Amino acid sequence: MPVYARITGLAVALALVLAAPSGRPEGAAGPPTPSVVPPAASPAPADSFVSSSSYPSVALPVRLRIPALRVDSRLIDLGLRPDGSIEVPGDASVPGWYDGGPRPGQPGPAVILGHVDSKRGPGVFVDLYRVRPGTLAEVDRADGSTARFRITEVSRVAKTRFPTDLVYGPSLDPTLRLVTCGGSFDHSSGSYRDNVIAFAEAA
Amino acid sequence: MRTIGYRIGAVAVLTATATGVAALRQEPAPAPAHPFAHTAAAPAGAPADLAVRFEALLGQHSVLAANMMRSRVRGDDDFAQAANASLGQNTTDMTALVGRLFGTATAEKFEPLWSQHIVALFAYAGALANHDDAAREEARDELAGYEIDLAEFFAAGSQGRLPPATARSLVVLHVQHLTGQADAYAAGDYTRSDEQFRQGFQHTYDLGLGLAKALLPPSDSGVLSEPVWRLRSQLGKLLAEHAVLIGDATRAAVTRTADFTASARMLNANTSDLAAAMDTLFGSAAARRFQQLWGTHVTALVSYSAAGAARDPARQREARARLDKFHQDMAVFLAGATNGRATPAALRAALVEHDHMLLQHADAYAARDYPEAHEIAYRTYDHMSSLARTLADAFGASVAARLPKGAAQTGHGGLADVVGHR
Repeated sequence: MPVYARITGLAVALALVLAAPSGRPEGAAGPPTPSVVPPAASPAPADSFVSSSSYPSVALPVRLRIPALRVDSRLIDLGLRPDGSIEVPGDASVPGWYDGGPRPGQPGPAVILGHVDSKRGPGVFVDLYRVRPGTLAEVDRADGSTARFRITEVSRVAKTRFPTDLVYGPSLDPTLRLVTCGGSFDHSSGSYRDNVIAFAEAA
Repeated sequence: MRTIGYRIGAVAVLTATATGVAALRQEPAPAPAHPFAHTAAAPAGAPADLAVRFEALLGQHSVLAANMMRSRVRGDDDFAQAANASLGQNTTDMTALVGRLFGTATAEKFEPLWSQHIVALFAYAGALANHDDAAREEARDELAGYEIDLAEFFAAGSQGRLPPATARSLVVLHVQHLTGQADAYAAGDYTRSDEQFRQGFQHTYDLGLGLAKALLPPSDSGVLSEPVWRLRSQLGKLLAEHAVLIGDATRAAVTRTADFTASARMLNANTSDLAAAMDTLFGSAAARRFQQLWGTHVTALVSYSAAGAARDPARQREARARLDKFHQDMAVFLAGATNGRATPAALRAALVEHDHMLLQHADAYAARDYPEAHEIAYRTYDHMSSLARTLADAFGASVAARLPKGAAQTGHGGLADVVGHR
């Protein structure tokens, strides 16, 4: 129906409303109609109202599973080094969760780091570079619950231009970031030149 | 009286069309002043700023429309009239913003469509109040037509970025929330009504950002996905929702209506969500402290309102004293959390202003001065949005200052030859 026709129809309907006795039919049931506020004769629910004093807490992460990459490992906690950089796992086969940020499933970006390799072989995130959008990543938590995420994007960035804001920056979206190394290896500094970052959203 | 109320209400809705378009030709209203002006980035009128404002106005629309429909269901004409006036103001403000974001021509198309869907919602609620199933179906048909028109309007404006089917599902859901909450309210199922009310607010708030992203060119909308803008948007939504829900709960407390318990449940859910956000930003200890302080404020406002209904001035004085302490304690807490990025004096002034308006709001309801109550509620919402922006920036900067520095050294080179050739 064209807009003008609906406007006309509505005008007629409103005119009928205005012309007819309106309001609830006599004797009809419905919510109470407020009148001038009477003095309270008895306590009302509002008299005993107390604001909430708790919120849903999210348990600590204990295990990471990415079936498509055959990752199934316990998680360790990671903090900051004295120079402000992030700690990395001592064991290349075990990923770590940055405990200065949100827990997986909590509002905000949870960050998990894993090595691409050790000095002698592959690390837990050796295949992170090839993870596809839509891939499932699951994080088991200490209370037996599981937070599920879907990969949305994978990018490789130079470490000199690491996007701190996009990885750790505070927002309230319950997201997950998986971080490892990539690119060429700088033998003089003993580190890779790039980071591979997988971004994931709550599934 | 009831008939006159309906007539004035309908006129108020319909005249929003003219005033809104006129507003396009006026200079934009200055942002509401607040005590943080010296620390906050003043709204620069950039598309991203306007997009955040747009989502706040859309969220407000959802609340005001729900209030208008509920008051019609209650047969409370004075209230419905005041709610309609606020709704008209919201439509005017939104149309002006659409003009600034997308151009005058777009705004001139937007406003009649938007106003007409409000008129249909008005008719729907009236049919509910009158138990007139035929009129309700007619209004539902009208709404279905406007859903199509609005969806086509948004899809066309997006230049392919928003598929028509997606646009329609978003608009349909908005209307479903509003009619659903009104249906449940009319049936006395306040819990379900309030669930729909809250979902409707959140959906419509998010819809505002989604529409802005779709309608703005990517060069303007890209920043909206960045963390700083996400935090502004998300904290803005939580705090705007607080302003809405505390207003609704105090209204129910003052008028001693049966929907208080459900309203209080929503308010508590918002308080818990705010505490969860503080946990994300500052950790669990800070979140617990925040919730304890915030709860003092919420409890005192409800207590003040309930005491008004009970004609108990002593309890009202006690509530005011608790709020005074809250202002001091919360200002110190937030200033500490933000490492002084927001000063205690400025924070305290903003919190005092927030509660001052809410106390006035409760008093206006107690006096059944609904126009005054709605005018205060409108200002409270704006003030909260402005404060939320300031807090989001202070919180964001504080968290950013302690983020890990540099890249992650997550490789030892054992597979350097393999990794380097990927």
